[in-house]
Amino acid sequence: MIKLENVSKAYSPDSPALIDANVEIEKGEFVFLVGASGSGKSTFIRLLNREEKPSQGQVYVAGKDIVKLSSWKVPYLRRNIGCIFQDFRLLPKRTVAENVAFALEVIGRPKHVVDQQVPAILDLVGLAEKTHRMPNELSGGEQQRVSIARAFVNRPLILLADEPTGNLDPDTAVGIMRLLDRINRTGTTVVMATHDRGIVDTMRRRVIELSDGRIVRDQSGGQYR
Amino acid sequence: MIAKTRFLLAETAQNIWRNFALTVASILVVGVSLALFGASQLVARGVDNATARWEGGIEFVVFMRSDAEPSQLDAIESLLDQSRGGEIDEWVFVDKEATFQEFTEFFAGDEELLSTISVDTMPPSYRIRPTDTDAGAVEALGETFESRPGVRSVVFASEVIREIQDNAARISQLMLGVSAALIVASVIVILTTLSIAISSRRNEIEIMKLVGASNWFIRIPFMIEGMVQGVVGALLALPGLAWVRSQVIEEFSESDNLRLLEGFRVTDDEFLLISLAVVAIGTLVATVGSIVAVSRYLNV
Repeated sequence: MIKLENVSKAYSPDSPALIDANVEIEKGEFVFLVGASGSGKSTFIRLLNREEKPSQGQVYVAGKDIVKLSSWKVPYLRRNIGCIFQDFRLLPKRTVAENVAFALEVIGRPKHVVDQQVPAILDLVGLAEKTHRMPNELSGGEQQRVSIARAFVNRPLILLADEPTGNLDPDTAVGIMRLLDRINRTGTTVVMATHDRGIVDTMRRRVIELSDGRIVRDQSGGQYR
Repeated sequence: MIAKTRFLLAETAQNIWRNFALTVASILVVGVSLALFGASQLVARGVDNATARWEGGIEFVVFMRSDAEPSQLDAIESLLDQSRGGEIDEWVFVDKEATFQEFTEFFAGDEELLSTISVDTMPPSYRIRPTDTDAGAVEALGETFESRPGVRSVVFASEVIREIQDNAARISQLMLGVSAALIVASVIVILTTLSIAISSRRNEIEIMKLVGASNWFIRIPFMIEGMVQGVVGALLALPGLAWVRSQVIEEFSESDNLRLLEGFRVTDDEFLLISLAVVAIGTLVATVGSIVAVSRYLNV
């Protein structure tokens, strides 16, 4: 599903963010990216949805070399990739339902599809009761659930999560992880960058550890260490 | 398709509403600059029409009676030919047919006036370019024709006409220059309005990119917003132009004190052409502003 071949990324010549990464991730896998701040986790994730292009090497997603993808095709790649972030990135002037519907509307989905999909996904993430609330009326955990609903409403093949529990208390974080686990069980590949030792150690999934831009460990059923 | 269109239009309307004050300012700048451009063209056309028969150094016109005998015309022509190379540099004969043609083109739309004339009632005339253009000499030369048989009247291009031509040309050029500067300013104002609209929606744009909205889907609302500013501005300029035409120009042509400005008018065809130019320039300004704005500020 995802393959990096000899991938290096340098934002400036003397400070490489990622060095010679070789990784293959199968469909339906759940992968943790761990490592200190600045070790290259975010760069890794940004390379997968073409927010960045590598300085060297190839990145394949769903069998396509996305480095060579022309810029007008990038949106179609991204329709297959959901993204969630530490800071949720909800639109503050739209309700919960409108935030989720937005993701479908801007890719031109007809209204009857939007009307059917949005309540279904909000039910899945446990927010059926809060459809018409504004983001600032929700707790952090609930806001992250909205952002997961938005990322998943289009049923992407891959879900990229950059420190999704970074702003949440441990109990809330567990709830979010249960949700991500559930999504993963539907066959969606999940790649999650995290600092959260407890979560990694409890879930026991594949762990890729980065240090100064290099992959220093790639272990299935691994721990945070 | 319907869903897309509806969403794009709703987004555009929302953009304009959020950015209302600036959008209005932008529309006004476009409107004023285009109105000024149009007015400069109206004045130029008006003067051209009023002084058409005096173009190319023609200093006086000998109008014959509409029932002048052919022999009377021949007499005038031989007189003119005798003086050619001497007092007269060049002369042109305008027959009844051509005069009628000019007249009907000029008063096209004025059915009432046109119904009272025919080719036969038109006076043929000789347009004369003298060698010596000194006012006294021209007048002396012209007067020698006045008493000839078949001559109805001799009309001189007075200094007033020359002055009008010069001044009007200067005024219309000045207006054109100012309007050109304002048109450039309108592009910049549209550009700035759009850049503010884009930056106030950067969160939405970021999410749109993230979830895979196509590049055109992101660009189109801003481009429509720019087009609205240009086209609405141009449409606002049109009533202004109609007012200039009806009040100022028609006033001139009907004024008793300014007999010389008789014929200072703009035909319907010319007005239509100028209006189309105004709308076209407005659209062009908007297109340029929009394209530059989305390619410069919208990083898709």
